[in-house]
Amino acid sequence: MFTVTQVGSWPRSEKLLGALAERQQGRITRREFEALADGEVRRAVALQLEAGVDIVVDGEQRRDNFYSFLTEKLDGTRLMTLAELEDRPSFRQTLVKLDVPAEAIKNATCVGKLARREPLAVRELEFVRTLTDRPVKVPLPGPYLLSRSMWVKSLSEKAYGSQEEMTDDVVGILRDELKELKAAGCQFVQFDEPVLSDVVFAAKGDATKFF
Amino acid sequence: MRVGVHMCRGNWSKKDGVHLSGDYTPLVGAFEQMHVRQLVLEFATPRAGDIDVVGRALAGRELGLGVVNQRSDQVETVESIVEKVERALQYFSPAQIFMNPDCGFGTFAQRCMSDERTAVEKMRRIVQAARVLRERYH
Repeated sequence: MFTVTQVGSWPRSEKLLGALAERQQGRITRREFEALADGEVRRAVALQLEAGVDIVVDGEQRRDNFYSFLTEKLDGTRLMTLAELEDRPSFRQTLVKLDVPAEAIKNATCVGKLARREPLAVRELEFVRTLTDRPVKVPLPGPYLLSRSMWVKSLSEKAYGSQEEMTDDVVGILRDELKELKAAGCQFVQFDEPVLSDVVFAAKGDATKFF
Repeated sequence: MRVGVHMCRGNWSKKDGVHLSGDYTPLVGAFEQMHVRQLVLEFATPRAGDIDVVGRALAGRELGLGVVNQRSDQVETVESIVEKVERALQYFSPAQIFMNPDCGFGTFAQRCMSDERTAVEKMRRIVQAARVLRERYH
């Protein structure tokens, strides 16, 4: 009772942020990045265990953000910044007003037929399980979030006739992931659906919409 | 395997006023239709409104209760966390209540909401509050 856990992400060190940038620019290999990230996850998990949490997370240390990381795992995606996605001056002004770092927030944009090259989070889970016997929570981007964020009409409609058609593939990918996480012994999967708040709390054409 | 859904009103800036605001009333219908065991929801920020809205409609689920605000540098007191959980106990049993921050400490890698020392301190306070609560409601 009163189980203590986290929502998912943990602050990244300067070292990790540097490696992430180098990885995105192709200046270090994936293997080099993962080796460094292993150390960062080790520290994030050790700090949680010291604090006494009951369900541990890996702190999303390997992820650029909670949904953009899919570009590492899925065919048919491209990592793009908000600034690249939308360059209308009015939109840029909105982002400035909302304190949204348009260059730093990245999106996994659908640019082709979506298919899993590898599991989304099974490796994250397996690594944490080598560090502790405590249950592990794995956060995944939710299907509604992805249906909204991945669809960029001019780029996505080459592969899909409609946003709904793309979403069917997104759901299939997430279902496969759930099955594999369960088989790998995951105790808790959390789907992140921040865009739900956008639907109900932002008025139509509201300046706070950026998804 | 437990499946949950997390929803929040934005976590990209420490300027609280830029994020969305409103209680869970317009989302209750959608939550009711989701086949998930747990809802992981913001409640530390006053922008999330009161627990009663969720408590009345969704008391059959587990609640991942947001008890600290990861965007604030001020570390919450154990008492304030205990108090928040006790409000939720009007609707949820101790087994149904999970205690967590409102959202991640670093949703976007380049925009962390807390430094690591503050994040650790906040998690310690949640653990301390859970101990007080387990003592009180075992």
